[in-house]
Amino acid sequence: MNELVLRVAFVMLALALPAWIVLSLAVVLGRARFDRQRREPKSRALGDREAARLVRRVTRSARTEWGKWRRVAALARLELAHHPAVPRLIRSVLGDSDPRVATAAIRALGDVGDEWAIDLLISELRKGIGPRSRIAAELERLAPAPGPKLPPLLRDWNPAVRFWGATLLEPYPELGESGLIALTWDPDPNVRASAVETLGSRSGDAVGAATLACLDDSEWFVRVHAARAAGHVLGATAAPTIARLLADERWWVRTAAKDALRGLGTESVPSLLSLLSHSDPFARNGAAEVLQDVGFVDFLAADSPGSSLLERIYAAGGEKLREAAKARVEGIDAQEVRAA
Amino acid sequence: MTADVLSVVVLVCLGYLLLTNLIYVALIAVAAVENGIRRHETASQDYDVLAASRFTIPVSVIVAAYDEEPSVVSAVESLLGLEYPEHEVIVVNDGSSDRTLDRLREAFGLEPYEVFVRRVFATEEVRAIYRSVDHPNLVVVDKVNGGKADALNAGLNVARFRYVCGVDADTVFERDALLKGMRRVVGDPARIVGVTSHLAIAQDPGKIMGMPPGKRPVDRRPLIAYQHLDYLRAFFNNRLAWSKLGFMLCSVGAFQIWRRDVLEEVGGYSRVFTCEDIELTFRVHERFLREGRDYEIHCLPDTVGTTEGPDTVRKLISQRERWQRVIAETVWHYRALCFNPRYRSVGFVGVPFYFLAEVLAPAFELLAIISLPLAIVLGVFSPMVFVVMCAAIAFVNAALTACAILLDDLQSRIYRRGDLAWLLLLAPLDFVLYRPFIVWARLKGSCRFLRRDKNWHKFERNVRAPA
Repeated sequence: MNELVLRVAFVMLALALPAWIVLSLAVVLGRARFDRQRREPKSRALGDREAARLVRRVTRSARTEWGKWRRVAALARLELAHHPAVPRLIRSVLGDSDPRVATAAIRALGDVGDEWAIDLLISELRKGIGPRSRIAAELERLAPAPGPKLPPLLRDWNPAVRFWGATLLEPYPELGESGLIALTWDPDPNVRASAVETLGSRSGDAVGAATLACLDDSEWFVRVHAARAAGHVLGATAAPTIARLLADERWWVRTAAKDALRGLGTESVPSLLSLLSHSDPFARNGAAEVLQDVGFVDFLAADSPGSSLLERIYAAGGEKLREAAKARVEGIDAQEVRAA
Repeated sequence: MTADVLSVVVLVCLGYLLLTNLIYVALIAVAAVENGIRRHETASQDYDVLAASRFTIPVSVIVAAYDEEPSVVSAVESLLGLEYPEHEVIVVNDGSSDRTLDRLREAFGLEPYEVFVRRVFATEEVRAIYRSVDHPNLVVVDKVNGGKADALNAGLNVARFRYVCGVDADTVFERDALLKGMRRVVGDPARIVGVTSHLAIAQDPGKIMGMPPGKRPVDRRPLIAYQHLDYLRAFFNNRLAWSKLGFMLCSVGAFQIWRRDVLEEVGGYSRVFTCEDIELTFRVHERFLREGRDYEIHCLPDTVGTTEGPDTVRKLISQRERWQRVIAETVWHYRALCFNPRYRSVGFVGVPFYFLAEVLAPAFELLAIISLPLAIVLGVFSPMVFVVMCAAIAFVNAALTACAILLDDLQSRIYRRGDLAWLLLLAPLDFVLYRPFIVWARLKGSCRFLRRDKNWHKFERNVRAPA
């Protein structure tokens, strides 16, 4: 028995001790090599043999995950060296069925930033092999703006493409307005939501009417975007309509309505005051909360602390709203508030 | 007769040692492949695009703070300074008995506001909600003490974004921590429901994180350095492999990203268990696998921050005792997953591995500590066996540790070469200088589990030099 245990222990030691030494040397020497390379930055240029090797690696499709990432790394190295074969290689990598590999090519396209890169990215957006959010991020950072090529996406058969088309049009207020308005009636609620969200960055009667119509959408997340958009597009005139959403059945819609009303500042006060005696408790406390956030409660608490209006707000918002307001205005001079 | 019994006991312990180490070696092989893949993935990733894109998913960062007066301001500053397109920081002061809330008020210009939030999770009473005058994305919730799980649930009630990241108030983060954590999620938000990542250990994280990556020192105090090595082994040798094999069973409390709707679906953080993180991870696996849904929980090899480690043996034992207790509680609670085909790799590998390598470890360690010296005293084994066996265990541990250091350095290149050499030299002495405390803590934790003790026994914060 003694012999057996001793032999096992010796075998373990004989394996572990050299392993520790080899691994330790690998850490220290590997790090020394890395530090040396970092001090002497790698040249961007590639030798012919290395370039040919990398091109071969990118061209060959890989089966293992390890191989796929080596392929991606080779593409990145060639791109860094501005190798002339890069456009052809990107096309070949884009065809990979693995979305993670395709994403690497998408990133490379964003770096290239050329007309053909835009066309390829838009075509990938239609195909949807890589993550569309990633393609969209690359399209947004391209130097030649892809705007004029985006409106046709609004008429695509695929709702996901229409969604991204509408979303990507946000920085181009001069493009695709009629298409976006039409999409607020799209059968797909995600498309309606993205269309109304983008319309929020525009102005005009037709846009305003479309956003107002979306406030009554059957899908709660369309109403969320519509509330925010209506605040931006129509300003104070939309306040009474947005304020109605404080009594919406969905919490997220009520939150979006609060955000929109907050964004309107004191212009939303008349609409909010009318909700203080609403039958819905969410509408009452939501109105009180926004009145607090736009500074109206602090103004009243400092200027006329005993006013019946302030008491109505406190009644709607609860005891904690009163305590918080008192804590905030403590030490503030009422004269200064009036002057302000 | 006694000699026979002792021989059998020693052989059983030896068998256990060989089996667990063989499993560890197999896991390291998987972890090395996963680390290599993630390294290539990181190299091909353009963080600037993610950081600037309006399509990067916003995140609510939730910090549960209880008596964190010395560290809370630096932790919140590091969270506010995260490079991320859109994130909010929700600090939940869980009824601290020290000046945690006052420090936050002074540092960030907090003012009380009444905010009507969703009560998705029942929590202890929220006393007040504060907003910062200087930082619009900072919210502080002051509530009656209810434990870390309760505090995180209160934060979830306030959270506005689709993904939440639970963090500890004693951790200082890299500026790109969220970007690193969310980079995989952004590619596949429908499937990736949870992400965690590696954290380093220091006595005073703020001091260590002041140095840029590549020149960052390792905290050389042996007790802290050994905890750092412990974390390296846990993340690089184990969790990376678990992640690759589909049974990432512990999303650490110091940095855990979750999809909020998943947390709502499973009922949020549980107050029933001693700690909340590991149990929540088990619960999410259990739910998704039971319902046959497609999902992934990942552990990433990136070092996203540095967290505070106990700087005295007493504090260390208190912390590790609690960890052992929660592991035992969780594995016991989810014992039905074991070898149940419905739970795939979680049931066939993950839970049995936890049971073998974590829950049973203290029993085998105790047996070995008693039986081997006794067998030598009684002449069953020669003293040579004891010496060679101890040396073998020490160098097996050292080799496993060196693997973890290598994988970490290949991935992050954060620490100075001299510090890496220091860690490698410390590794063989782990068996003598550090392991005995951990064995003791695990024994204590197991005993407390059997006595159904669920106290937190939080260790006192380390004394730090004034900023």
